[in-house]
Amino acid sequence: MKVLEIKNVHKIYNSSEVKVHAVNDISLDFEKGEFAAIVGPSGSGKTTLLNMIGGLDTPTEGEIMVDHTNLAELKSSALIDFRLRNIGFVFQSYNLIPVLTAKENVEFIMSLQKWNKKEKDERTYELLKAVGLEDRINSRPSKLSGGQQQRVAVARALASKPKFVLADEPTANLDSKSTETLLDIMEELNKEEGITFIFSTHDARVVKKARRVITVEDGKVISDERKK
Amino acid sequence: MIWKTAWKNVWRNKVRSLVVIISITIGIFGGVFAIAVMNGAIEQKVDATLNDEIAHIHINDPAFRDNYDIQLSVDQPEQTIAMVRNMPGVEAVTPRTVITGMANTATKSAGVQILGIDPESEREVLQLYQTTIPGTGGFFDAESRHQLAYIGEALAKELNIIRYRIDESMLDSLAKREVPAEVLEKLVPFSGHRFKSEKSFKKEVKGVLSMKEQHEYGAVIKEEAWSFRARSKMTLTFLDKDQMQTGAVFRIAGIYDIKNSMYEMSQVLVQNEDLAALTGMASNEYHQLIIRLDDLESTRVVSESLKGKLDGLEVMNWKEIQPELAMMTDMVSKFYAIFMVIILAALAFGIVNTMLMVVLERTKELGMLTAIGMNKKRVFNMIMLESVFLSLVGGVTGIIISKTLISLTARKGINFASYAEGFEAMGYPAHIYPSISTSFFITVTILIIITGILSSIYPALKALKLDPAEALRTE
Repeated sequence: MKVLEIKNVHKIYNSSEVKVHAVNDISLDFEKGEFAAIVGPSGSGKTTLLNMIGGLDTPTEGEIMVDHTNLAELKSSALIDFRLRNIGFVFQSYNLIPVLTAKENVEFIMSLQKWNKKEKDERTYELLKAVGLEDRINSRPSKLSGGQQQRVAVARALASKPKFVLADEPTANLDSKSTETLLDIMEELNKEEGITFIFSTHDARVVKKARRVITVEDGKVISDERKK
Repeated sequence: MIWKTAWKNVWRNKVRSLVVIISITIGIFGGVFAIAVMNGAIEQKVDATLNDEIAHIHINDPAFRDNYDIQLSVDQPEQTIAMVRNMPGVEAVTPRTVITGMANTATKSAGVQILGIDPESEREVLQLYQTTIPGTGGFFDAESRHQLAYIGEALAKELNIIRYRIDESMLDSLAKREVPAEVLEKLVPFSGHRFKSEKSFKKEVKGVLSMKEQHEYGAVIKEEAWSFRARSKMTLTFLDKDQMQTGAVFRIAGIYDIKNSMYEMSQVLVQNEDLAALTGMASNEYHQLIIRLDDLESTRVVSESLKGKLDGLEVMNWKEIQPELAMMTDMVSKFYAIFMVIILAALAFGIVNTMLMVVLERTKELGMLTAIGMNKKRVFNMIMLESVFLSLVGGVTGIIISKTLISLTARKGINFASYAEGFEAMGYPAHIYPSISTSFFITVTILIIITGILSSIYPALKALKLDPAEALRTE
């Protein structure tokens, strides 16, 4: 079952002096439960592509369909709500809310969706346990290591049971051990919850774990390999 | 969760938030306490005016107030008094004769309004009798074969009935009141001296004391130097009913002090029977009926009812008699609101500045929140709540401090003794008891919340304009 269709997407940035074709005619499909990595050197257009998939940026041309919904047809407020219910985000620099505890950070998305307290408590504990932080639920981000913060960010991204999770260079700031732990956790969640994970990365360790590797260069897909 | 996050965000940068909170606290405290002092002074002024000077309603001939013509008395006074007394809401009535004349002593004279009163019923209507300065007599209490007059402190000073003297007993009293010996020594050369007027006393004392000594002991020295000779006399002259010049010597029954120099200077009270004998008016002939009501709030209802019943007579309530007092009581709450709005507007700029810094510092975080699905309304609400919390913490602290200080000072009052003459010249007491209603605190709290909301609008709009993808790239 397709959760995401990217059809002939272009992204052109027009500055006063130069015209940058950041994404050049990319078409891709993602099935439910994929664990895919978009790889490529810096400036290849992978983050731009990820931003457009996540509805944070709009294509200059082409269509992005998430579960048969064309993101371009959604108004600003509807798009935000769509993101809330369908897309989970994991950022390179974790981006947790520093004044909230790990538990509150994970609950935040569910609160925005007006889940009741019991549901929130159960889901939060389940996710923090899954990422191995059930004993740190009341710690603030400043009291957690980088790896632990990113695990909280993963738990947050999965909180509302999204259709897929977009992770932009999630391991870029992590050491080897933390990267390995994080990837294992994400792979397990992917298998257990059937949630599609799409990474943008140039980390070989992520590429090794990914079951599909899409290589992007100069805004174009130059290879799309599925591992057996 | 938005409320919780907003509250925690307030304390993210404690120093910055505390600076804003303290400035709001000081602003609110300053504003509220200043208003409480002003309000206390105005309430005292209104109370004193109604209780000591004019009561609630006056009845007189429609033309009487034009030139206080002695001929224009109230028609059928006894029936009218009886009718008014039985009106619902009326507590007491007293009749008065009002004549314009001159008060003279051997050295001075002054234009005055002579009020012929019935002391017994006057006590039921006005509390002026309670303001007699101790040691000066009373409110027509003692039997006397002389004609008596009850006069104000300001007039007594003007006519040199009150004098200032420095003698040994006065210096002893000052020593008991812990006035230092070096100050007393400076006063010794004046011992045995009786000054012609308050002005000359002040001039001489100022001449020997330093500014600091004047400031510290001036009021005590003046109080102890104050001197009054019992049964002092003065002459009152006026025109009788036939427009013939007449007059008589009156002994001072007592001297009242209502902290209103203007009233004290102009109003001399004598007994109706004495005035009637001198003017040729009948003993039951009066120019005015003065009415005290059970409840101030019923003034308009009772005065309207009286207007309907008393054809051919003018009925005026206190707001019509003293429109400036009415304007003050009616407008005062609006003035307070404007005063607070000005203070809060100034504080709002500080809050706007802080909230703009908050938005600038949290650009990446706000981008992240929008990215993960926090809609514009919620982002706006979060910024607005932070601003409201910031304002409320400062505002409520300011209110609590003000309320505490008002409660503390309301018991003993604040004595502006150094400015007493200025206050009294304007008809205000120099000893002020700060007072403010609970509803005012509620209004201020609402204004603080509104300030918080308004201060958040511009920063929140800035936050809403952030592009999440761009904001996430911010370092």
